[in-house]
Amino acid sequence: MVTEPPSNGEYLIAAYVVTTVLLVGYWVRLWRMAKKR
Amino acid sequence: MTGIAASSDIAGRTVRRGLRLSALGFVGLAAVYVLALRYTPIEARQGLAQKIFYLHVPAAWSALLAFSLVGLASVLYLWLKDIRLDRFAAASAEVGVAFSAIMLTTGPIWAKPIWGTWWTWDARLTLTLFLFFLFIGYLALRAAVQDPAERARFSAVVGILGMLLVPFIHLSVYLFRTLHPQPIVLKPSAPSLPPEMLRTLLVSTIVFTVLYVGFVTTRYGLALVADLREAEELPDGH
Repeated sequence: MVTEPPSNGEYLIAAYVVTTVLLVGYWVRLWRMAKKR
Repeated sequence: MTGIAASSDIAGRTVRRGLRLSALGFVGLAAVYVLALRYTPIEARQGLAQKIFYLHVPAAWSALLAFSLVGLASVLYLWLKDIRLDRFAAASAEVGVAFSAIMLTTGPIWAKPIWGTWWTWDARLTLTLFLFFLFIGYLALRAAVQDPAERARFSAVVGILGMLLVPFIHLSVYLFRTLHPQPIVLKPSAPSLPPEMLRTLLVSTIVFTVLYVGFVTTRYGLALVADLREAEELPDGH
């Protein structure tokens, strides 16, 4: 019997948003430090 | 051009190169998102949450690579006493903490719909959290010790201890009873993953590695700038 995959897209969105925020946030921090030097 | 001016020029170029490489990594990351969300099939049992894997695994790879290189640079520092190795170790540790933060947040977000719980104190998860705290301690130690030679020596010891945890983390799924999935790529037999999923994972791993190199290059350049400024401020020029 073929079953539908579970619907849990909100977790996917949360993980992709968190990853983007952490990576971009860290890059911005480095960029600001570079601007200050 | 004086020695300090030349070094300052090198530091500036290193920072710019690192920022540019990281920006290139972000273009790659956007491509990974499109690849993972649009072109990679949905896993039948886990649904869309399985796609978290394309960020979680490369983040874990980058974090463990970062901490392994901290340990390696620390061993070499204690042997050669070259300040560049200490500077690299510090840069890699900070970037490793950033990637660990991604690994430790995306993991529970995946675990909740799949395991039914955000967290479980099994060997893999606990050791990873311990490694994260150990490198937070490493960075705190560096901030607390003023003398550069002492700071480099003390933090090299902590960096080596951190590196020793890395193989335990990788092998923990074999050594202990754990909920965490076993390796599906880095294992003795062939990867057990459909080709489309494997391709997306490999692309994402390359992109995260580019981001790692870009971040570390920037951080190294910034540390070099700080060291040069400190040298300039010393009255006798040393």
